[in-house]
Amino acid sequence: MSDEAPDFDEGFEDDDDFEDEIAGEGNRIVGGTARAVVEYVTRYLAEEPDAVDVELTERRGEIVLLVHASPGDMGRLIGRRGRVVQAMRQLTRAAGAAEGVRATVDVAE
Amino acid sequence: MEWVETTGRTVEEALDVALDTLGVDEDEADFEVLEEPRGGLWGRREARIRARVRPISRAKPGEGRARPRRTREGGSGRSRRPTSEAVPAATGGGGTSDRRRRSGGRGGGRAAAGSVRSTPAATKETMVSEVPVEEQAREAETFTRGLIEAFGSPGTVAVEIDEDGGVLVDVTGPDLGLLVGQRGATLQAIEELVRTVVQRRTEGHGTRINVDVAGYRAKRREALAGFAEELAHTVQETGQERALEPMPASDRKVVHDTIAAMDGVSTISEGEEPRRRVVVRPG
Repeated sequence: MSDEAPDFDEGFEDDDDFEDEIAGEGNRIVGGTARAVVEYVTRYLAEEPDAVDVELTERRGEIVLLVHASPGDMGRLIGRRGRVVQAMRQLTRAAGAAEGVRATVDVAE
Repeated sequence: MEWVETTGRTVEEALDVALDTLGVDEDEADFEVLEEPRGGLWGRREARIRARVRPISRAKPGEGRARPRRTREGGSGRSRRPTSEAVPAATGGGGTSDRRRRSGGRGGGRAAAGSVRSTPAATKETMVSEVPVEEQAREAETFTRGLIEAFGSPGTVAVEIDEDGGVLVDVTGPDLGLLVGQRGATLQAIEELVRTVVQRRTEGHGTRINVDVAGYRAKRREALAGFAEELAHTVQETGQERALEPMPASDRKVVHDTIAAMDGVSTISEGEEPRRRVVVRPG
């Protein structure tokens, strides 16, 4: 019994469609959009937004946004069963794709 | 909208649908079994439950709703409230205490799930209508707008409150494909965050919050219903069951609902999340 797979996604852009190597555009900071998104979301969710810092690191050709926050906010930023960080990861990926970079996010322990 | 009512082959399945509709985890929900499922000579009866996000009492959010609350309630980060030990009352018909296959995830003390009461409508809860839905809608709008801006996207954000009191956040504009993502994955993530924000910052528990971008959800629902109907016709003609690919509970519900209106076919869900899928059967 094979799965039936409807194709609903025609007409919607595929966010996997990006260059493999990290490439900047002009003087803009590479990964800037992804970082802006992560900063926005984490500060919004944190009880201590001023303690939030998003560090831009690189690992094997991928931008890794490392979120530092007050210990009390960690759970909030990870979410139940990691749902919040998973959602942020998806957004980061999309934001990175918009700039042609591969990007992800981690909450620093 | 406080309670959502859902059905499923088992209580658990109905609860899965409910939790997805509410957008919360099981330990944040109350639910009641309205009808135990029954299989029988005269056909199946589905399990019917109602569920809501468990209202929690905690300090009111600060005045400025656009600013995060500064107050911290305890340092653990997790568990914003005492896990008020739910009293899992014995389910009337026995049986359905097939307590959750979901294993708690991180952190131990989440064993106690929703308080199951088998007496339908025995308790008419006083709805602690915390923050008006209008304010939750504003919160959702504010957060979404900022998020879209952070993306550098020119999308427009509108919110509406539907007839059931649910909040619908609608993002429209050109070139929003990126905010939809493959199979709506990015949209799903946005929705997850909007729900989290609203639930944490207002006491907006129990309100259904849905996000759509570029009409994706609406189109998809329509397409999915059409696809399900076609597949059901095939099953009617061939008498052979067919399975759809795994999909989230909200999508499965579209399939179940569509096919429920048809004769000579029925649907069940099988498999474990996130690989749970609908099977369309003859009869």
